[in-house]
Amino acid sequence: MTILMPEPDQSVLARRDEIIAALRKIVPGEGVISSAAEMKPYESDGLMAYRQPPMVVVLPSTTKQVSEVLRYCHQNGIKVVPRGSGTSLSGGALPLADGVLLGLGKFKRIREIDFDNRAVVVEPGVTNLAISQAVDHAGFYYAPDPSSQIACSIGGNIAENSGGVHCLKYGMTTNNVLGCEIVLMTGEILKIGGKAAECAGYDLMGVITGSEGLLGVITEVTVRILRKPETARALMIGFQSVEAAGQCVADVISAGIIPGGMEMMDKPAIHAAEAFVHAGYPLDVEALLIIELDGPQVEVDELISRVEAIALGCGSTTCQISTSEQQRLLFWSGRKAAFPAVGRISPDYLCMDGTIPRKQLPLVLRRMNEMSEKYGLRVANVFHAGDGNLHPLILYDANKPGEQDAAEAFGADILKLCVEVGGVLTGEHGVGIEKRDLMPEMFSDIDLNQQQRLKCAFDSEGLLNPGKVFPTLHRCAELGRMHVHKGQLPFPDIPRF
Amino acid sequence: MDTLKVRDAQEVEDAVRAAIANEQPIEIVGHGSKRSIGQLMSTNAVLELSALNAVTAYEPNELIITVQAGAPMADVLSLIDSKNQQFAFEPMDTAALLGTSPGAGTVAGMISAGLAGPRRIKAGGARDHLLGANAVSGFGESFKAGGKVVKNVTGYDLCKLLAGSWGTLAVMTEVTLKVTPRPESERTLVLRGLGDVVANKAMTAALGSPYDVTGAAHLPGSALRTTVGALAEIAQPDQSLTLLRLEGITSSASHRAQSLRAALKSFGDAELIEDDASAALWRAVRDVEPFAASGPRALWSVWRIVCPPAAGGAFGEQLSRESGGEVIYDWGGGLIWAALPPATDGHAKALRQRVEKIGGHASLIRGSDAVRAGIDVFHPQPAGLAALGSRVKRSFDPTNILNRGRMSRGSAT
Repeated sequence: MTILMPEPDQSVLARRDEIIAALRKIVPGEGVISSAAEMKPYESDGLMAYRQPPMVVVLPSTTKQVSEVLRYCHQNGIKVVPRGSGTSLSGGALPLADGVLLGLGKFKRIREIDFDNRAVVVEPGVTNLAISQAVDHAGFYYAPDPSSQIACSIGGNIAENSGGVHCLKYGMTTNNVLGCEIVLMTGEILKIGGKAAECAGYDLMGVITGSEGLLGVITEVTVRILRKPETARALMIGFQSVEAAGQCVADVISAGIIPGGMEMMDKPAIHAAEAFVHAGYPLDVEALLIIELDGPQVEVDELISRVEAIALGCGSTTCQISTSEQQRLLFWSGRKAAFPAVGRISPDYLCMDGTIPRKQLPLVLRRMNEMSEKYGLRVANVFHAGDGNLHPLILYDANKPGEQDAAEAFGADILKLCVEVGGVLTGEHGVGIEKRDLMPEMFSDIDLNQQQRLKCAFDSEGLLNPGKVFPTLHRCAELGRMHVHKGQLPFPDIPRF
Repeated sequence: MDTLKVRDAQEVEDAVRAAIANEQPIEIVGHGSKRSIGQLMSTNAVLELSALNAVTAYEPNELIITVQAGAPMADVLSLIDSKNQQFAFEPMDTAALLGTSPGAGTVAGMISAGLAGPRRIKAGGARDHLLGANAVSGFGESFKAGGKVVKNVTGYDLCKLLAGSWGTLAVMTEVTLKVTPRPESERTLVLRGLGDVVANKAMTAALGSPYDVTGAAHLPGSALRTTVGALAEIAQPDQSLTLLRLEGITSSASHRAQSLRAALKSFGDAELIEDDASAALWRAVRDVEPFAASGPRALWSVWRIVCPPAAGGAFGEQLSRESGGEVIYDWGGGLIWAALPPATDGHAKALRQRVEKIGGHASLIRGSDAVRAGIDVFHPQPAGLAALGSRVKRSFDPTNILNRGRMSRGSAT
C-alpha cells in the first residue's frame, strides 16, 4: 500500500473488547461483526488494491441505532467509516484499523412513492436501480445511472455524487436529490429538504452530496423521479481519428442537441469490448461514438438524422442506427461491459476518472500514448464524450514486480494532465484515498483549508471517515485561526469552534 | 456610508482584510438591484463589485462561461443568446417586482440570490448551474471552489453553498456557469377558468406525462385583474389562466403540445400560443409581473413560498381566501408568489405556521423596512439546522464581517 492512512490510535485498539460490547448493546444480535473471518468482505471497496480490516463492523437497521453508535463513538473518540454497497472506485469506504465500519446495508426499504410530487423517499441501502424498478410500472425512473447501478446504494451515490451516461442531459445525483435525513457525528439527527424543490437556509443538501461520507451519515433520502421518455434510439458511429470523433461531439452540441448519452471508445477499448460481447463494433476504426437520443418518437427520428448528417460532415466511416430496442441495447452492451472486457485482456487494470474540457481530448490522448510508452503499460479509453469525463484503463499485472507502482504513477500523471489542461481530478468516482494526495494539483492550501473548515462545522473532532479526500489532516482549532489585530481577536463574543 | 469600488480580486481581498482588521462589517453589492431583500443589515460600509465586469472565457462548445462577479446579467444573457444558448435555470429579473431599474443586476448577484424561473422544474436552479467560483472568504483569503468543466466531483461542492447564500459566506469574484442550447421552439397551452386546486391537478398531470413540460404556472383571475403586458393581452376578466410550456425542436414541441392537449382534455380545451408570444408570457410569470411594484399592490408584502408541488393549489387557495391576498403559482404548484395586504408582520406568523405543515417554507421578497425589521425574512429553521447553518457561516466568515445579519435575525448568519 503506497497511500498512508492516519496512524491507528493504540488507546482505542486497547479498548476494542469494551467498544464491541458497548456497540452490541446498541445494535444487538448479528448487527455487530467482530471476527476476522466475518469482517473479511468489508476490507475494501471497489478499489481492491487497498485492503484494511476494520476494528469492528456495525450494521444498524434504524436511524436511532445509527445515532447512538455515532454518539458513542463521538464521546469515546472513535473513528467511523460509513459504507453503502462498497462499490466506490476511489477507496472512500476503505476501513481504518482503529475505526468502526458502519454499514448501511440493512436500510433497504422504499418508504414512500409519491407520483404527484414526483418524489420517492428511500433508505440509503436501496440500490440505484431498485428505485427505477419501483416506479417503472407507472412510467417513471430515477435518472442518474452509474454503471454499477444494479449494486450501488443510493446513499453511496449521494456520498459520491455518482453519475453515469445520463448525466449530460439529466444531471448528476446532486441535481436529482431533494432532501435527506442525516446523522451528524455527535448523533444529532437532522432533516434537510423534503419534497419541495428547495430548502430554506444554506444549501446543505448540495454540500452533503459528494462529500464522500465525511460530513454525516445519511439514513433517508428523497429523490426526484422523472417520466420515462417515449422512446430512445442510438447511433454507433466509427471514425478514423479521435480528432474527427471529438469534432463530431462538438458539432452535435453546437447544433443545440444534448443527447441522452454520448460515449466514446478508443481502438483498444473497442477491440476488448467486441471480443467480449460481440456487439458488432467496427474493428477498423480509431474511435467509436455511441450517441443516444431520447424523447418523443418524432423528435428522436429527426435528431437521429441531424446527428447522422453531422457525423458524415466530420468524416465518419461507419454509422449504424438502431432500429429496435434490442439493437440499441446491443450497441450499449460493449460500452457498459468495457471494464470487465478489459479485465479479460489484462490480469489487472486501474480505472482512472478525470474530466477535461472536451476540446483538449486529442492532446490528452496523445500525451497518454506517450506516457504509455514511458511506463511500458497499455491503456484503453472509454469516455463520457458529452461532458469530458475520461476513463483511461491502465492495464498491468500485479504479479510482475513494479507494475502496480508504475500503473499508479501513470494514473497520477494522467490526472495531473487533466488538471493542467483545465480539467479536474475526478468526474464521478470521487477523491477517496485514490486521488487524495493529488488534491494539491488542483487546490491550493487555502482552498483545501476552506473545505476542511466546512468539515469542522459538521464534525469538529474529525472522526468521520478521516484519511479520505484531504491529503493533510488539520485540527479544527488550527483551521479557525484568524488574523489577529493588536493582539486581540475581533468580536470576542462570537463563539468559535 | 463608505462605498469602496473594487477593480479586481486582489482589491476585494485587501478590502475584506481591512474590514476584518477594522472590525467593520461590509455589505457586498453588485448593482444593488436586490438590496431590499433580506434582513436589514448592520453594516455601514459597502463593497461594490460592479467594476469586475469582464467575461473571462466563453466556450459555447464546452457549455461553459466564466465571468467576473460584477458582469451585468443583461450583457451576459445577450452574449450567450448570440450563440443560441441560455442559462437553463431561467434566472428571474426582479426589477418589476422590486421597482428597480429594468435589466440591472450582476451574475454573482443572481447566483447569490438563487432565484430561478419557471424552467427550474426541468433544469434545476441557480445552484445546479454554478460550476466553479473564485471567492474571498471572511478570513480574507482568496479560494477556489469547483472547476470549469460540467462534470466534477473533486472535493466538497462549495458552489452549492455559495448559491443562494446572499453574500454571507464569501465575496465571489469570478464564476463559471453551465450554459445549454436554447430550444428551437416553444409552445404554450392555455387552459382557462380553472380553480386553483383543479389547476394544480392539471399541472400535476402534465408534469407526470411523458411530454417533457418545462413550465407549469397558474394565475387566478384575481391576480390578473390589474396586470399589464403579455398576460393582460390574453386574460379575460376574472378568468384564471393555466399555462403549460413545451420546448425543443419545432416538430417535437408541436407534437408534444398536441399530445398534451389531448391528455388534458378533461380539464378543458387548451389554446395554443407559439414562440415569441409564448416567451413573453413566461417572462411575465418568471418576473412575477402581476405583483409589480408599479401596480396597485405596491404596498403589499410579496412572499416566495416553496412547497411540495401537489400541495400548492389547496394551500394557495386557502391563503388568498383567509388573508385577502392574491397568489400565483409556478413550478407546477411548487412555487407560490403571494401578495398579501398590509399587516404588521406581513402575515409571517400565520403564513409560516401553515406552510410548515405541508413541508414548505416562505421568504419575504418585498416588504417595508418596518416589516423586515420585525420578522425573520427568510424562513426560520429548526434549532439543529439553524445551529449547523451558523457553524457553516463561521467556517467561512468567523467574525461575521460579510453581509452581517442579512439572512438571519439576531444570529451569526
